[in-house]
Amino acid sequence: MRPEIKEYNYDWLMGRALRTAANLPRGTKKEIGHTYQYIPYFKDIVKSLVDLGDPGFQTLDMLATYYENILSAREKGKKLCATTFCNSPVILYAMDIVPVTLEMLTTIGSLVWKRGMFDYMDFCVETGMPETSCSSQRGAQGALLSGLCEKIDFAICDTPGVCDTNANAFAFLTEYLNIPFFQLNYPSSIGDRRSQKYHVDDYKGMIAFAEAQSGNRLDYDRLAEVLAEVDKQDALIADLEDMLMLKPTPINPIYNMMLYGGRFCFSGHPQYTKLLESMVTSAKEKAITGVSGLKNGKENLRIYMSYIDHYTADLNFFHYLEERGIASVGCILSKNFRDNSPYADALAGSLYGIDTTSPDAMLDSLAQMNARLPMVRSIRGPYDKKGMWLEESLTFAKMYQADCVIYNGTPGCRNTWGMLKPYARDIEKHGYPCHIMNDDAFDDRVESWEATRERLDEFFNIRGLL
Amino acid sequence: MSFVAGCDVGSLTSKAVIMKNKKIIGSIIIKSKPRPKDSADAVMEAALAEAGISGGDIAYCIGTGYGRDRIDFVDEVVSEISCHGKGARWLLPTAQTVIDIGGQDCKTMKIDTDGNVSRFMTNDKCASGTGRFLEVMANVLGVSMEELGKLSKQSRSPVTLASTCTVWAQADVIKFINSGVPIEDIGAGINTAMAARVAILVNAVKPEGDIFMTGGVAKNVGVVATLEKLIGKRIKKARKADPQIAGAIGAALLSMERINGHGLRN
Repeated sequence: MRPEIKEYNYDWLMGRALRTAANLPRGTKKEIGHTYQYIPYFKDIVKSLVDLGDPGFQTLDMLATYYENILSAREKGKKLCATTFCNSPVILYAMDIVPVTLEMLTTIGSLVWKRGMFDYMDFCVETGMPETSCSSQRGAQGALLSGLCEKIDFAICDTPGVCDTNANAFAFLTEYLNIPFFQLNYPSSIGDRRSQKYHVDDYKGMIAFAEAQSGNRLDYDRLAEVLAEVDKQDALIADLEDMLMLKPTPINPIYNMMLYGGRFCFSGHPQYTKLLESMVTSAKEKAITGVSGLKNGKENLRIYMSYIDHYTADLNFFHYLEERGIASVGCILSKNFRDNSPYADALAGSLYGIDTTSPDAMLDSLAQMNARLPMVRSIRGPYDKKGMWLEESLTFAKMYQADCVIYNGTPGCRNTWGMLKPYARDIEKHGYPCHIMNDDAFDDRVESWEATRERLDEFFNIRGLL
Repeated sequence: MSFVAGCDVGSLTSKAVIMKNKKIIGSIIIKSKPRPKDSADAVMEAALAEAGISGGDIAYCIGTGYGRDRIDFVDEVVSEISCHGKGARWLLPTAQTVIDIGGQDCKTMKIDTDGNVSRFMTNDKCASGTGRFLEVMANVLGVSMEELGKLSKQSRSPVTLASTCTVWAQADVIKFINSGVPIEDIGAGINTAMAARVAILVNAVKPEGDIFMTGGVAKNVGVVATLEKLIGKRIKKARKADPQIAGAIGAALLSMERINGHGLRN
């Protein structure tokens, strides 16, 4: 790692950059102009969000608050828990624990930092993590391992079997930092009574661990409040999903990222509710007039990203979609699999509901919700098993009228690479052109954005989609 | 005192050194031929000619490099890591950490006061971070290896290149050229990608003391300067001889130890 990077506390650096960006909408034109001069590499991202109006402002504010919570945790006597986007932060908020979601932090760093998270990723490799480990953790993990972040108290992950690369990253992190670690496990099926019971029992073990590590007992009244907030958020997400099905959709592609980013950071937190309300209001205005959410107002193509989006510096992927008039109808990260979602009937048996009538009902709701987080729900079993990745992808492609299906991940996504070719073949068999992106969603050095873009263009041209 | 020799048959270049009294009296670098045996014969013949002696005058010769097992005339073969450690310490007596970037691999090592290797790391899987990477890129850019090294200084905005795959990086470079990106920015991107790969290995051995670089890439000023920035430490330059022949020097020094009765092989 370059010596100058070691001079700065990473969390503080990110927190201040994001708070300054979040304050910009309240600034004068002159103030905004001056600030842009000082953030030449972050400017385009900020502008992209500011151009979205209130939802963009809310997003910046939410991200800044997320970092401020991390930075102020120690002062407020709260514990910091490293966790993954596959694990809902709801239980942590209910227990007054501050979540540090590695993948979110890597994504934010990729957007803010001039060279993406390269330096931190490389530091992680220097400490012994393999270069082919998941880059979504490796960025934030490198910052944590280098001692440039707030001290983590313990870690919880829920990806063994689902994504062993992810689980191993947490095993490495906790061993290196010498902190306690809990892993939730998942059976290879979903929706049956046996697996439902397994989830609840395992989840109770996790709560006992979090109680022991944080010194906080789970307050069920507080949990009911948080779950009520989640319920409200899920209803707003269902509204957005409804509008995503419209053709043209009034949902801008970047809304998907805001939707799932917010959920991973602040599920059950009122700030996320505010963001969703703002997104719904903004999208509804466009839906009423039948205008596309794309900035040029014209939708030429609809894609379903069957895994994750692309996040390297400057939000290149989202700008590309705008340029080409491509609407994205979401990805594995943006679907919450709630029983009130517009696709509830099509995926019956593999969704969850929220019941706050008793402590047991709440724990059951939480465990089932957690079992439907990204990857955990969709790729826990064989790709073509009922309710798993293939069925889910085809359901979404059909319901949202996607013209094609695109896979994007990282070289570390061995959980999907192992089954990707037959998966893509099956998607094609069902009439959807399928493109496999060979890049790294968080690291331009695996395949430059220029090459990624060209390959996307080639796919769209050759398959007659654009 | 007898003459000793070291012959380093690498994937890109072959090097031979002849020494007497720990002084180089002949050294040659040639481009490797398809067969390692032919490379070894040719480079040793040239080195002997330069030293003005014949093969029969050589008391002991050690072979090293990827083609070392195919050299007929050597008395013994020794790994490149051991030879580069020895050679580096001779070239820079204060060296404690050595970076060797060869044609097809990259190694970082820590050495003791006798030049013996105490710890080492090698690149794990591909051509990125090796001399071949730079050679391929220089060819695509249409510049010499030396010119490629100098491009970094002229660049204002280095491009980001795919650095985990040489073939993809090559495709990137072609794309950048076709897009009209200034050659110095592409060259700087190449040197940066290379240095970033090597920096990981350097930091992984936890460098101490004076750092010295061997191998042909040590002559690429762009890579060296970027690497210095990335690891935050100066890399000392070789003054006594070309750093590219460090492996052959090490092999010759080990030959001398053998005839003096030190470190005889089992």
